[in-house]
Amino acid sequence: MQQRRSKLKSLHDAVSAIPDGAKLAIGGSLIRKCPMALVREIVRQKKRDLTIYAWSAGMDFDMLIGAGCVKEAWSSYVGLFTAGMAKNFRRAVEQKKIRFVDISESCAMDKFRAGTFGLPYAISRVPLHSDLLKNPEFKEVVCPFTGEKLVAMEAFKPDVSIIHAHRADTYGNVQLDTIRMMDNETDIYIARCGKHTIVSVEELVPEEEIIRTPTQTMLPKLFIQTVCNVPHGAHPNSCDTRYDFDQAHADYYQECSATAEDFARYLDEFIYGTKNEDEYIEKLGGHELLEKRLGHPRRAG
Amino acid sequence: MDKRYSLEELLAVEVSKRVVDDEMNFTGIGTGGKAYIRTCGIPLVAVRLAQLRHAPNALCMMGPVLDPVLDHDTIPSSNWEYDLIYWPCRSQIPLEDCLGMFRLGLVGLAFASGAQVDKFGNLNIACIGDYANPKIRLPGVLAQTELASHAKRVGIIVNHDKRILVDRCDFISGAAGHEDRSGLPGGGTAFVMTNLCIMGINPKTKMMRVESIHPGVTAEQIRDNTGYDIEISPSVSITPEPSDDDLRLLREQIDPKKLFLNAGITQDWATLEE
Repeated sequence: MQQRRSKLKSLHDAVSAIPDGAKLAIGGSLIRKCPMALVREIVRQKKRDLTIYAWSAGMDFDMLIGAGCVKEAWSSYVGLFTAGMAKNFRRAVEQKKIRFVDISESCAMDKFRAGTFGLPYAISRVPLHSDLLKNPEFKEVVCPFTGEKLVAMEAFKPDVSIIHAHRADTYGNVQLDTIRMMDNETDIYIARCGKHTIVSVEELVPEEEIIRTPTQTMLPKLFIQTVCNVPHGAHPNSCDTRYDFDQAHADYYQECSATAEDFARYLDEFIYGTKNEDEYIEKLGGHELLEKRLGHPRRAG
Repeated sequence: MDKRYSLEELLAVEVSKRVVDDEMNFTGIGTGGKAYIRTCGIPLVAVRLAQLRHAPNALCMMGPVLDPVLDHDTIPSSNWEYDLIYWPCRSQIPLEDCLGMFRLGLVGLAFASGAQVDKFGNLNIACIGDYANPKIRLPGVLAQTELASHAKRVGIIVNHDKRILVDRCDFISGAAGHEDRSGLPGGGTAFVMTNLCIMGINPKTKMMRVESIHPGVTAEQIRDNTGYDIEISPSVSITPEPSDDDLRLLREQIDPKKLFLNAGITQDWATLEE
């Protein structure tokens, strides 16, 4: 009998599969559970000309944009929430280095869902009369049933989707903690609509554990091409009840984002200056220290 | 102005009068400081006050945290993700389904703020200047487009400033304006509250007018700080002061630590007073 295929890869090998110019969907929201270790590796490998999609983005977008990886970005928000404005994003849009397409939260979610349903577009009343319509990708159409004006929005069909999740087995069955922030349920659609989906997880578990808790498997292995085992893989973002947003690191990041030159120094220090994620975590004092600073004891349920 | 009450208390009581029984009220999760007070702090306190008064069945939506318990002794000391997840509440559902409530017409009053609010009641939180060539790029439209298009009523709290209360928004991130609502299920902007006054929409002109002036404020102050020629009737009323009973409920029962009204929950204490 042939061995079943393990989908476990290093971050390096996982990200090597992302070509320059790819359409890349990124999970998480604001400062919550973005797949930051994957984002860092994309920066390390100097990917270029990406088109990035999120429904509500944070440091993930800001870092990729500041590192010169992006030509076009779609989101309802790019900001660092309690740490302030996304300065690299702002600079890039104001200096017209990237194209940014404003899209509201439900419109972005609808586009991910349409991609998941295998449909060409989503339909909504939400953008009517708003300046979202300034972007030609929003098209007014007439409802064939009622005759009313609606807005059609092409489905997101990312070449690659990346999300961060709580646990998985090596075969790609991905689970989410039962108690979690329901803001990030769109991750499930983001992962499903990608032609190639990479998931980083807080912990790798044996298949028996997955079989014991199948209702937590929000993403069965069919949807997943690659699993990366990356504890603290959302850092400096928070990860539901497991650990908090690293406000101190984000404040430092913001200090370094005042100018493009300063930001280059941040990238040298934390991304290009670290060979891989292990060195990044080591630079922050290691997993134990992060756990002590940001972690929460796991509650039952 | 005598300091029997704060501006936040005055506004919270006025907002609470506009909360309707049985309706869902929308606030976001909010960031920190003044922005939190305007979009979450005042609205949440107002909903709780309304629940204790005329609207016992009113609900609120704090992002995906639905119908939270808003009694002071159950309110966490911070609104970080961990505390939000464990905030006592009756339901937590996926955010896309929360936004789906707008589209089903199930959201009554939705709260917003913005970098610009124009004379028709439209909102802008996307950019200042020409969209293709922005002077200032702001973080983005969030769910403002949803609430502007679909909530029954939009309630806006901003600082009274010419740069905010503008003739036309540079970019309409929320079409809450009244100039043309064809095809939009929602009712648009119902009120705009500031540190100087409360404004509403004149149904004839479809434009903003002053409905009441806060105690101690003059019509001239309002005109000087508004970016267009705002309608103020010579017989305009004065915003009623909160009653002793209102103040007692706010200070003793609802928000004694000022976690909401002064944004303490965000660890970024602030006040809307100058």
